[in-house]
Amino acid sequence: MELEFGGEYFPRPIPESAINRPGLALTGFFRHFSYRRIQVIGLAEFDYLRSLTAALRLERIREVCRRDIPCMVLTRNRHAIPELMSAAQEYQIPVMRSPMITSRFINAATIIMENLAAPQIRVQGTMVDIMGIGVLLQGPPGLGKSETALALIERGHSLVADDVTVLRRDSEGFVIGSAVQVTRYHMEIRGLGIIHVPSLFGVASMRSNMRLDLVIQMQPWDPAADMDRTGLNSETMTFMDVSVPLIRLPVAPGRDMAQVIEVAALNQKLKRMGHDAAKELDQKLVNVLTEKSRM
Amino acid sequence: MKDTKIVVNNKVGLHARPASLFVQEANKYSSDIQVSCKDPDSGENREANAKSILGILTLGVYQGMEIHIKAEGDDEEAAVSALVKLVEANFGED
Repeated sequence: MELEFGGEYFPRPIPESAINRPGLALTGFFRHFSYRRIQVIGLAEFDYLRSLTAALRLERIREVCRRDIPCMVLTRNRHAIPELMSAAQEYQIPVMRSPMITSRFINAATIIMENLAAPQIRVQGTMVDIMGIGVLLQGPPGLGKSETALALIERGHSLVADDVTVLRRDSEGFVIGSAVQVTRYHMEIRGLGIIHVPSLFGVASMRSNMRLDLVIQMQPWDPAADMDRTGLNSETMTFMDVSVPLIRLPVAPGRDMAQVIEVAALNQKLKRMGHDAAKELDQKLVNVLTEKSRM
Repeated sequence: MKDTKIVVNNKVGLHARPASLFVQEANKYSSDIQVSCKDPDSGENREANAKSILGILTLGVYQGMEIHIKAEGDDEEAAVSALVKLVEANFGED
């Protein structure tokens, strides 16, 4: 996208993160005109404007600009016509130009604006992509989150973010994790310092954005702690009003956390496909036991 | 060694939820705890470690069956009485 003119009018807020095609407004119908949105002038608008007399053309464009629209975008790389230029300059509206066709531009701009406006938080935790399941590893420092992530990368899984993960909620209500831009691709391993993951493990070891499907809370092994032994009780954790399944995993010396977490991720995938092993086994038991007690 | 016999009277018997409560309780004690029962059909005597969830489930204890809890160790008394209490309370089921 390029600036056609009016760069000096920036910065301008976009009060409503959406796109509007001002076709109806250009015909003179201004009721319900979404002036708070980015106005896109596409092929149809251009052709319609051309069909008007120069005086009417100027009047209608001035009517649009007068309503303090955030900016105008001309698609298909078209340049501003003289009436548009003078009206936009009069009301100090910046005008931009995009090589895309209008529908593509609207899609792309909508996605970008949604991501920019999406609620976002930073959480302490390392995120990995295990066979298409986004897993956030959380737990007190020194318990081996990074080491576990490293073991998972060595098994062929990909790192999303180490230590600090940025979570945002997308328009479909999913939580998407990514790394903080500056530290992206890097990990800190105690005793080694900072390593560059793709240099050591190849580009397939990194993933930039990943939907969050499972939170693993790593905790010190405590034999007296009440621990779910069946997997029947499902806990969740809430990020920005979206709840995500949570599993608490005790860490003990000699316990291969990478292996356990890999299985947890696969089991999560299975649950999402509608198979809950713990529930199915329990149902089987209940059936057998009930039948026997009736005999 | 401390041991006692008790009838399991909760609705379905030892399926996953009550079994997990049982195992959770057993794991609070350091004593070695075994649970056994006699299958009324085959007369077979089955035994399982009280700290193993799959072990308890394989016993197939249904409503009305008697189980035999045996504990051996420093806290055997406490372990058996806690497990008996849990079974008597029907695992907190209504």
